[in-house]
Amino acid sequence: MKTPNAILEPRGELKLDDYIVDIAWSTDTTRLAVAGGEGKVFLAKRSESALEAREVGQHGMGTLAVAWRPGGSAFASSGQDSRITLFDAEGALVAQQRPSMNWTTALAWSPDDQRLATATGKQISLWAPSLVLEHALAPLASTVTALGWDKPGRDLAAAMNGGLVVHRVEPPRFQLRHYKWPAPCLTAAFSPSSRFLATGTQDGTVHFWHLSTGRDSQMRGYPGRVDGMSWSGDSRYLATAADEQIVLWDFGGKGPEGSRPLQLRGHTDRVECLAFQPGGNYLVTGGRDWRLSLWLPGKATTALDAQLTVAEPTCLRWSPDGRFVAAGERNGRLSIYELVRVV
Amino acid sequence: MATIDRIPVTVLTGFLGSGKTTLLNRILSENHGKRIAVIENEFGEVGVDHQLVIGAEEEIFETNNGCICCTVRGDLLRILGQLLKRRDKFDYIIVETTGMADPGPVAQTFFLDDDFKQQFLLDAIVTLVDARHIEKHLDEMKEPGEQVAFADVILLNKTDLVGKAELERIERRVRAINGTARIFRTQNANVPIDRVLDVGAFDLQRALALDGSFLEPQYPFEWAGVYQLAAGQHTLRTGAEAHVHHHHDHHGHAHDKGLGLVVLPVAAATEQALAAAIEPAVRAFAEEAVTVTCGGSLKATPALHAIDVNYEGSHFVVDVAAAGAHAIFCEHAPAEFNLRVEGAKPIVQRAFASHHHDEEISSIGISDPRPLDPQKLNDWLSYLLKSRGADIFRMKGVISLKGEARRYVFHGVHMMFDGQLERPWAAGAARQNTLVFIGRNLDRQELEAGLHSCLA
Repeated sequence: MKTPNAILEPRGELKLDDYIVDIAWSTDTTRLAVAGGEGKVFLAKRSESALEAREVGQHGMGTLAVAWRPGGSAFASSGQDSRITLFDAEGALVAQQRPSMNWTTALAWSPDDQRLATATGKQISLWAPSLVLEHALAPLASTVTALGWDKPGRDLAAAMNGGLVVHRVEPPRFQLRHYKWPAPCLTAAFSPSSRFLATGTQDGTVHFWHLSTGRDSQMRGYPGRVDGMSWSGDSRYLATAADEQIVLWDFGGKGPEGSRPLQLRGHTDRVECLAFQPGGNYLVTGGRDWRLSLWLPGKATTALDAQLTVAEPTCLRWSPDGRFVAAGERNGRLSIYELVRVV
Repeated sequence: MATIDRIPVTVLTGFLGSGKTTLLNRILSENHGKRIAVIENEFGEVGVDHQLVIGAEEEIFETNNGCICCTVRGDLLRILGQLLKRRDKFDYIIVETTGMADPGPVAQTFFLDDDFKQQFLLDAIVTLVDARHIEKHLDEMKEPGEQVAFADVILLNKTDLVGKAELERIERRVRAINGTARIFRTQNANVPIDRVLDVGAFDLQRALALDGSFLEPQYPFEWAGVYQLAAGQHTLRTGAEAHVHHHHDHHGHAHDKGLGLVVLPVAAATEQALAAAIEPAVRAFAEEAVTVTCGGSLKATPALHAIDVNYEGSHFVVDVAAAGAHAIFCEHAPAEFNLRVEGAKPIVQRAFASHHHDEEISSIGISDPRPLDPQKLNDWLSYLLKSRGADIFRMKGVISLKGEARRYVFHGVHMMFDGQLERPWAAGAARQNTLVFIGRNLDRQELEAGLHSCLA
């Protein structure tokens, strides 16, 4: 069998004046919203020949998240100044909210483009696309650390200390289900198939639930907190990082329980970020070894390609069409790569 | 691969009104060249230019290893994660806790995660103590004692608001709880910045910097003096020279049971004779005390008296059967009570290290020159952490392992533990195991037996 191959072709880079915390692609892949750790919000425009960016906003003490509206023409940002801000596709300020003095740490547009979910302390709020409050859900028991929608945009999962809480969002009803796990949960990720819900914890475990039965399983053995995870497009693999290794749980066949995970080795220092291609099975990872690696788990055990960065990678985001990867670095470098199949 | 300097962190604790904000303002406004990020429980008034102040809402997480004492601060976890994203912008972190905060979860947060251990260096826990109110606080609440117990540095603050004798008593009580912290007496939290920042208390490389007296043999008394006394009755007085009433706010808690006193005939008024009397005195102090009220009499025999001192002045009769040198062993330094024998002065006197106290929280220091077996030590420490982790707030140690040229150094906060082999023992110097435990209801015999079970 011939090993499939692909590489990452550089498609432009620029240096922003801030640590890159988060990146969000526009649906048409021509724009990116970029969050800076010191508080700047940038809008970058990408064309075949150029990549340019300008500062469009500020969040006092640090930007925490950016999220592009799936429907196209707007993006939201939040920061340590407690504000949630809505910009249009040209970077003009459209609306602003300040739900409380707390940080809004998570922003998640529903995939059906109906609403924006935000997590501010223990409070989850749902906003109409114009950033008008649609519904403030009852505060949860602990601070929400992450939000994740299922693919249809019907179920919203929130991670917190003590497990995950899923709201079924069918306004005016907001039905609640608890997935308890006594640990500080850091991520909330539905599989694209909506069959599984996974979380990574501060305690160094991955925990997931079979949504049809409610059965849950715990995957141990991580040396530290698991604060990043990504599902492959076919929902077969859940990728996580354990120091310099990439650990993939195989949900094919009988599932990952009791089996040894797939381990991909190649990074020589802690893997900081990872992301599966949307709708596909290519995986990109970024490590403290200042390297971005491209993998095709299950088909090849070594990296297909690697690109060196000039500082520690902090954020990796695929474009919604799975064609491009944007990488952010600690020193503010933003670089774009195109996934190119090699025959 | 990038090498990263760890960011030092000082945790500031102390009860409401102890002067935390004063100290913080002093640190922030002083020209020390550091860029400091401050994490506060509440948004305070601190707002010095170019300093970063972040508010936190206290949220305690239990971690998932089944031990209730392994709690960390969720709010800190999140904020530290964010701070790492701008680590180029500051050199130092100060975490200011609320007056009622338990320092345990705060300190443990820095040990929870290998990545955090690589990025942050818990430099020291600094506890401010309000000298005027600490005794009341220690008597009535558990948090102040815990804050003292966890500390690496204690500022005994507002010393201008208490008398000298009171201050001695307070320091002794604080010292009884925490035998290893550096104690500074301050007014307006005025202390050189290098005493509270970059202290290196958790730095294994700097090992154990202990108050040497802490590891000296412990005695149940703090002072002894030898007097030349004629046969007959002598008057022992405490308190004021004249019967003047003092309006001091005394909380005589340590002396509810009376001041322990032993009077013994000794061979001569010499240091040697006094040294020879120590052993019988220690044995006498282990006996049940006979309470003597004002005006009562004490016998010059190896018997423990608990004399009922009051600060306005009290007097007792000492019966001396035969003329000669007599040693008086006293539970506390006589200066505190103005204890004196009328018409006589001590010819020889000596102070003793004492950690005799009634505190629930205390420190125990153990030293032993014999080398230990690494496996046995590991088993014992694991057992100790599992069974007593909730009660042991802090522990530190420098260990001599059999066949190992380097010193094994460790420290722990509750069940969080960090240890490593570090620099070799100095050539020619005596190798010695030194362990210190600070915690609640500690049992010295149990700890010593445990250490002895580790002998190679």
